[in-house]
Order: sequence, then C-alpha cells, then structure tokens
Amino acid sequence: MLVRVFGYFLSEAAMSLRRSWKVSLVAIVTIAMSLFIGGTFLLLTANLSRVVENWRGEARIVIYLTADELAKEDSRAVLLASEPPWVTAVEEVSAAEARSRFEATFPSVRELFKDWEEEPLPPSLEVAFEADSVEAERLDQWLTALRSDPSVLMVDDDRDWLRQLEALIAILTGLGAVVGMALLTAAVFTIASVIRLTAYLYRDEIEVMRLVGATELFIRGPFYVEGTFQGLIGGVLAVVGLFGGYLLLNPKASTTFLGNVLIDRFLSPGALISILLLGSLAGLLGAVLSLRREELGQ
Amino acid sequence: MIQFLHVGKAFPGGRSALEDVCFHLERGEFAFLSGASGAGKTTLLKLIYREIEPSSGQILVNGRNVASIPRAKVPFLRRTIGVVFQNFRLISRKTVLENVSYLPRILGMSQQERRRLAYNTLRRVGLAHRMSAFPSELSGGEQQRVTIARALINRPEILIADEPTGNLDPELSWEIVRLFLEINGKGTTVLLATHEHSYVQALGGRSLVLDRGRLVKDEYVEGHVGDIESDFAGEATDRRRSSTERTA
Repeated sequence: MLVRVFGYFLSEAAMSLRRSWKVSLVAIVTIAMSLFIGGTFLLLTANLSRVVENWRGEARIVIYLTADELAKEDSRAVLLASEPPWVTAVEEVSAAEARSRFEATFPSVRELFKDWEEEPLPPSLEVAFEADSVEAERLDQWLTALRSDPSVLMVDDDRDWLRQLEALIAILTGLGAVVGMALLTAAVFTIASVIRLTAYLYRDEIEVMRLVGATELFIRGPFYVEGTFQGLIGGVLAVVGLFGGYLLLNPKASTTFLGNVLIDRFLSPGALISILLLGSLAGLLGAVLSLRREELGQ
Repeated sequence: MIQFLHVGKAFPGGRSALEDVCFHLERGEFAFLSGASGAGKTTLLKLIYREIEPSSGQILVNGRNVASIPRAKVPFLRRTIGVVFQNFRLISRKTVLENVSYLPRILGMSQQERRRLAYNTLRRVGLAHRMSAFPSELSGGEQQRVTIARALINRPEILIADEPTGNLDPELSWEIVRLFLEINGKGTTVLLATHEHSYVQALGGRSLVLDRGRLVKDEYVEGHVGDIESDFAGEATDRRRSSTERTA
C-alpha cells in the first residue's frame, strides 16, 4: 500500500511539474545557482586543503648559517639541529650549492652574481622532521634555541606559511558556507512560493480531496515530493555545471601554479552526493514551509 | 444513524445559521431536507461531515459525537459518508474514472481493483461508457451522476446531497432523484436537501423543513400520485411508505 501511495505522490508531482514548468523552472534555477556557487567554493577549498596536506608532509625547517659554520667539525648549530629524535634528516647545503640551486631556478638572473667575489647566499641546513610525533611546544623551544645560537642567521619554518594558507582556507570555507547558505535560504523561499502558488491553483481540488476523506499526508505528499524534485533537479544541474566548468578550466588552469592548486581534481563522490542531498532537503523544506495549515485553507 | 441534539450554529459576527435543531434519522431512512435559500440546509449538512463545527448541541453519526472526533480522524468519518454537492465539485483535470476512484486510491487499492470498483459504480449510475471522459465533456446531469458515483464508491452508510438537482432541468432532476431512491432502496440512509417542495409533495416520505435556521417541521408526507412523473412518484411513494414502516 505504501508503494502505491508513494507512486501516487510521484505521479502527481511529475504531472504538476509538467503543468507548471515555467514557475518550477524559476525555483530549480535558483537552487541550482546557489548550489553551484557553494559547490565552487567547495571545489576550491577541497583542492587547496589537499595541497596544503601534501605540503605539510614535505615541510622543512631551513637554518641559515654564518659563512664558515659548515666547515667547522664541532659546529654547535649542526649538533643542535640533528639532536632531537623527531628530526628524520639533516641535509647540509653549502653556499656554492645554494647559489647553484638559485641559478637553476632563476636562470634569467644568473648573470647577476657573475662578478661577485664572495658567495651571495649563506650555507644552510635543511631539516626534515615528523611533525606528528612532536608536541608544538617542544618544537618551538627547539627553534628558539636554534635562533639564539650566534652561528645561526635565520630559521625559516615552512609551517608558518602553511598556517597562513590554512587560515585562508578557513576564510574561504566560511565565506562559501555563508554565501551558499544565504543563496540556499533564498532558494528555499523561492520553492516555498512556487509550491504555495501551485497549492493555490489546486485549492478547489484540495478541498474536494479533503471532503472525500483524504488525510493531510495524502493531500500534502505530492507537494512535498514536488519540492524535493525541484531541489534534486537543481542539485543535478549544479553538479553538471560544476563538472562542465571543471572540464573547461582544468586543462588551462593546470598550466599555471595557482590554477593547478585550485582546480586540480574534481569533487569527491561524497561531496557530489551531499550537494544533491542538500538540494533535495532544501526543496522539501520549502514545500513544508509553504504548506502550513493556513496555506491550505484548513 | 444521524442524530441532532439541540444543535446551534452561529458564524463569526453573530449571525445564527441554525438554532436548537433536533431530529433523529434512522438507519436506511430517506428524508428530504427542505427550506428556502438561506434557511440553513447547507450548514446542517456540513455539520454532519464536519466541514464546520456546531456552536452548541451535539451531532451523533453512527453513535459518535462528530464534534469530539480529533482533526486527524475526520477523514475517516468522511469516508463513511457520501456527499453530493450542488455544484458537482469534480476535479476538472481528471477523468471520470479518476474522479470516481479517488477514494479507493486513498485507501491504497490497486489500479485493477479501483478500475473494477469504479466501473461497477458508474454502471450503477448509468455512466460506465463515459469513464474516460473529462468533466467538461459531460452534461450537467452526467456530471451530477459522476458526483453520485464518487459518493457511492466506498459503499457509505450515509449519503447526503446538497441541492443535487439545483443546476439541472426538471427531467434530469427526476432522473437524479430516482437514483437516490434506488440507492436508498439498497439500505443507504439518504438525506437530500432541496428547496423544491414538489419532490416531497410528489414522492412523500420523511420531510424536515428548515426556516431561518429553525427546524419547523419534521413529518411524514403522503405523496400525491398524479403529479409530474406520476407513475414514478407513485412507485416511489410505495417504497417510502415501506421504508418508513421498516424503520418504525
């Protein structure tokens, strides 16, 4: 019996969508737009988060030393750098090696150092470590000790700019959530208005249904399904739009660093299902809001 | 079957539609409810299937106090009462079959069951051949018969009709009244509201008369054979008399 009743809801909802497709389209487009914009933020932050996670694994601490420090056999800085158990590798980069790396990275300015008598860049120690196996406080104490050593010119901690990037991701996520929710709220009210209008068009029919003994669920069910349909279709359109945009921009974006970072991969299946569910729920909520008792002339 | 105990109904603004109405309609009885326009006939009928609630008094349908039925249970009351409206109230976008089989659909019957039941009910009112038609394709009489079929499909114990002949020409009106008598002949309690006294005078039977919200007459009337549709009227009077004797 439940299957038959649900079948009735589906057929009535489909018929209503067909009959009033123009007004339904307004609701569908509104919800598609809001989910598309929310999905765009989700796509960007998901890619950015993944990149940050990868970089976190490769994070280094670079300790810049005075010119002759690496030549010393009993360098206190080298000892201090390799002492902690969480340090997994210490690579010594001589001043000549640093210059060679710089010239390889920026070949257009290699002539700049041609006539220099001294090495332009200081020697350094590149320290790899397991960030997960050490408390942040102990790591900071270790860095403070290094910074206070007279042979250390500067300590560059990759985690500093990773933290800034994480803050940026948090801002983007928050912004996406706020914009997405605001648009989704507007979409819910649009759907509510469309359903209310449909219910108004069918008010005579609803009255007859009620008089012959239809329960409220039986009367409202098709409208709930219609709202859910509108939300689901909006969600599908948003996903199609996002995927289309991704296919269009990804080949071009992958040639630039920022583009590669922001739209390297498409959304996960879980995220796509969430968009569809969110759309459906927004549609259902719109229908529920629109069919309060007084709206149906009860 | 239907019992009104000192029922009053006042609408917002203080206008009184019914005052101190008392009557008892037995199971299987046929009664005419007559009175001028505005006498309170429609209000009285609406109280039976609880489209509105009384301001005072009690209405018992099948022994249950209608006013005390929770709102969520009202649909179940309505499924036991067939209602025929003056203005038909058919769903224009649905076919005759869909209009008639709406209640079976609510009850979760299969399409095959619904179709069979609707066919049998439409055959009873002589419209089995118009199952696929839309209400707009039917004459007034046919639309009214569809409304009657819709009211009958769940085999209600009570059938109430509000001016079912109000929009029909005299010939069709008699056809509809004949249908109500046939339905009553099979045991359904019928309360037929009309402002036409001629039916009561011609057919006879239980007559409830309202005047400005008060029940001014509750009597058994002898039919006058020889009036319009005399043969039919005489036949009907015999049936009413036997029905009255049965309930007495």
